[in-house]
Amino acid sequence: MYGGGNTFEGVKTDSIALEDPARLAEFEARIDRGEKIEPADWMPQLYRKQLIRMIEQHAHSEIIGALPEGTWITRAPGFKRKLALMAKVQDEVGHAQLLYSAAETLGKSREQMIQDLISGKSKYSNIFNYPAFTWADSCFISWLVDAGAIVNQLANAKGSYGPYCRALDRICAEESFHLKFGHHCVIYLATGTEKQRQMFQEAINRWWTPMMHFFGPADKISTHTEVLMKWKVKMSSNDDTRNQFLDMYVPKIWELGFTIPDPKLKKNAETGRWDYTEPDWEEFKRVINGDGPCNKERLEVRRIAEERGRWVREALRSPKAAYVTPLA
Amino acid sequence: MTVNSLDPRVNRLPAIGVPGQIVPKAPLDQFGTFEVFVQPKEGKSFQHEGIVHAPNLEMAYVLAKEAFTRRFLCTSLYVTDTRNVYISPLTEGNTDAYDLIPEVPSQPGEKVSFEIYHLVKRGKQHTHAGTVLASTPQEAMHLARTAIKKDKTVYNVWAIRTSEIRFTTPEDSDLWLTLAEKKFRDASDYKGGDKLKEFLERAK
Repeated sequence: MYGGGNTFEGVKTDSIALEDPARLAEFEARIDRGEKIEPADWMPQLYRKQLIRMIEQHAHSEIIGALPEGTWITRAPGFKRKLALMAKVQDEVGHAQLLYSAAETLGKSREQMIQDLISGKSKYSNIFNYPAFTWADSCFISWLVDAGAIVNQLANAKGSYGPYCRALDRICAEESFHLKFGHHCVIYLATGTEKQRQMFQEAINRWWTPMMHFFGPADKISTHTEVLMKWKVKMSSNDDTRNQFLDMYVPKIWELGFTIPDPKLKKNAETGRWDYTEPDWEEFKRVINGDGPCNKERLEVRRIAEERGRWVREALRSPKAAYVTPLA
Repeated sequence: MTVNSLDPRVNRLPAIGVPGQIVPKAPLDQFGTFEVFVQPKEGKSFQHEGIVHAPNLEMAYVLAKEAFTRRFLCTSLYVTDTRNVYISPLTEGNTDAYDLIPEVPSQPGEKVSFEIYHLVKRGKQHTHAGTVLASTPQEAMHLARTAIKKDKTVYNVWAIRTSEIRFTTPEDSDLWLTLAEKKFRDASDYKGGDKLKEFLERAK
């Protein structure tokens, strides 16, 4: 699982102009040839910085994303659903491990990344700051939030940074189970009783705005966005990924007889793109800055987990250990 | 806990520390790193898969099993401390990494076994290429050029002392014997097509 619509950090000075032009040209030529960049290769500071930010946000989203679904493991309907949800949540946490490792190859330690998550300095996908009230909410996450994540991850797996692409290939392979499991759960609700259908309809009504937010605000065309796309850090615009998601999943939602709470939502025959009501971006900003329904709970749960595990980590720490950056 | 959660387990969490107050993490709080190598199929070479953080080699082995063999086919795996991996320069194009490894005169003293890994395609993983006997990692890499290297350009060479690797032993194989029935983790186990078709027919 993964929150898309990365918000890339604005860079105050024009750091690209400070780079060695010969090395920069070599670096760009390698990307143009379709080769991957590896940790030992020279890379511009902006590339390193934005990749750390993107991979770290992705890893945090996997960790925090496991929380609203984890809540439903004990209450999932039936033993098989419980087993599957437990396996899915385990996968998400495993994905975070792979991603933290990829980010570490760029020089940021895992300690610092975890610290930045629980202090609120680093962001994670905004959608996980909303609560999963019913089993239908958990099904919405498993099917549609994971679907949105897959759209993003498949694009990013074609990016330029070797360790991130390799982690994503592994993650995407596991996500296929999540998506099928989520769709299966939704089909059972959709073809069930009136009450079950109503539960899922209410889940759609609750989650549609966060789902539209999920892909991020429309990209501002700036020199940095252009350069990040040229360097294959950012693989497609937020609007393009949102449109791709709508193309793939709105027909499936409608097929099940559910409605989507947006009267303007329709595919524009002329442009071939979806028309929709702009979601409330003020709400997006407010929630991402800490004022959502679950922000405090999510970070507090992580902080307590850190505190509870501290004595174990201290007891296990070897005086001979020394930190080295992972190799690949 | 000052937040009121929908999840009763969250509400039951013990009050530890001060909400919102972060105690800085000590250096190496997440332990050192270990490199993980996996053999996807019997007879195939081991390939590098990534890293785990662990307090020691034995724990690294157990965590590697969880992180890297949960789903994918795997017949065996091994781990070593990242500090035990000796690496050559990374090259590109037609430049062979072996061309940048300085010649090392044969060293006196006891020869030990080194495992050699090659990166033959940029963007892919290092794979196990062979074993050589040498006194030092530098000598091992130098010897590998004649003993192991074939025609293909090698972009990066790794050498690890065999004795510093935690291999899978026959007794470890029961690590993979968990639940016999794990179909619930496969996409193929979630076929809702018939139910959906029936629903769509009824809706017509």
